[in-house]
Amino acid sequence: MKTNQNEQVDYRHPLPVRLWHWANAAAVLVLLLTGLLIFDIHPHLYWGEAGQEGEGAFVSFSGQHLDQKVPRTELQIGSGRWNTTGKLGSTLEDGFGGRYLLVASPPEDWQFGATRGWHFAFAWLLGLSLPLYAVYLLASRRLDRTLLPTRGELRPRSMAHELWEHLRLRRARGEAARHYNSLQKLTYLLVIFVLIPGMVLSGLAMSNTLSAAWPALSELFGGHQTARSIHFITAMLLVAFVLVHVFQVFVAGFVNLMRSMITGRFVVERESAP
Amino acid sequence: MSGPISRRVVLSGLAATGAVLAGCSRLDDRTPFRQILGFSDAFTLRAQRVLLARRPLVREYSLSQLSGTFPVNGTNMPPGDAYRRLLDGEFRDWRLKVHGLVNRPLSLSLAQLQDMPSRTQITMHNCDEGWNAIGQWTGVPLGHVLSLAGLRPEARFVVFHCLDRISMDGNYYYESLDLLDAIHPQTLLAYGMNGKPLPIGHGAPLRLRIELQIGYKNAKFVDRIEVVDRLDSIGKGRGGWWEDFDRAVWYAGQ
Repeated sequence: MKTNQNEQVDYRHPLPVRLWHWANAAAVLVLLLTGLLIFDIHPHLYWGEAGQEGEGAFVSFSGQHLDQKVPRTELQIGSGRWNTTGKLGSTLEDGFGGRYLLVASPPEDWQFGATRGWHFAFAWLLGLSLPLYAVYLLASRRLDRTLLPTRGELRPRSMAHELWEHLRLRRARGEAARHYNSLQKLTYLLVIFVLIPGMVLSGLAMSNTLSAAWPALSELFGGHQTARSIHFITAMLLVAFVLVHVFQVFVAGFVNLMRSMITGRFVVERESAP
Repeated sequence: MSGPISRRVVLSGLAATGAVLAGCSRLDDRTPFRQILGFSDAFTLRAQRVLLARRPLVREYSLSQLSGTFPVNGTNMPPGDAYRRLLDGEFRDWRLKVHGLVNRPLSLSLAQLQDMPSRTQITMHNCDEGWNAIGQWTGVPLGHVLSLAGLRPEARFVVFHCLDRISMDGNYYYESLDLLDAIHPQTLLAYGMNGKPLPIGHGAPLRLRIELQIGYKNAKFVDRIEVVDRLDSIGKGRGGWWEDFDRAVWYAGQ
């Protein structure tokens, strides 16, 4: 389909892709916020099976609300300890020396129990839509056609060129804009086949019922607290992906990319456009 | 806060997350959003019951894996003279009442419970706050006590009424299980922990151990067990103290 001499419109994203994208966007937003609220209650990470009261934690966020009403926050990683006051985290006065908040500040009428309810409702959305999408990617051959990099794209010289184009924030034009570039393909494959499954499986590994029904799952992660730590670290990797992803949408053309993810239609600019 | 930029970042982050969460907290009081949460909880229960069809046991650990520290959560010490008197009498005057939809209501002393067939298990306690600890529990399987009382055909849920209160002006603690979890072989009325009598902070003289579910379902300081057909008449009707006053999920096998 042609609109004018300098533009061509591709039907880029079929409906299942758009539905999955927005379902995941909603799920990740709610899961992240509720997840952070859950983390705030016990902001310590451990390796192994059991962990309590920050003993032996490899990461500890902490905050105090001192008498002078001055919040002070600290981050401990391994044997290192940093004063992060004003840079990371804050505290809420709660009458018990302060409650630590990593990012999210819940409204006053927020009930903690509800946090888990919302977390699980959207975890179902994330966890159930993923296998459906994987089947769609395979059945429609979209995995081969759009996501698997070609051998040529994986050559070091080609990858280095792509990285350089990204670092210069160059917008792809012409034929190159009609398909995902190699870094994009590898990132999407990582998100779809490693990070999201990792989130879902490490979440399930923390379940009491699952540890009874499928003990191998918790063992696969090397223990309950290891699964919890991997859950947190993978979530931070997903946050990093979302930040870069949204930034790239602005670099590559916000209106065009948003339209393509809403209506499916993506406008390709001719390479020789004046 | 150190600088204007970090303050602005922190404040805008807080404002944005606050707005989304405020949306959620308002939404969950209204249909159909309450229905979404209800649907999700029911879906979780059904899905997990499919996984539990073969009645698996939770993992049990060895003595060497016991946690050195087992945090006390909820109530450390039930306030009031009534509990104080029970404690002073070393719980000789304490009785576990079993009533409701049973053929033979019971009133059992601690010594009677300790004379019943017992089970000792070393299991993981997972708190919904994120910490966990491994402890050894000794007690009577709940199913044994329920069979002594004899369940009537209309019995569906087992409610635990406790001697502690989370907030002084609030209700006494209560929790509930359905019969499938109540008769699981690892569901105990525990009177011993780590080879000693149950400490006060962990619910002396008797607490529930429901290993298939997380921390707050494991009611401490159990006073009486009521067998019911519906949960509507218990507290505000959602089946437990945290469920009623903090919107916690009732089925907490996650």
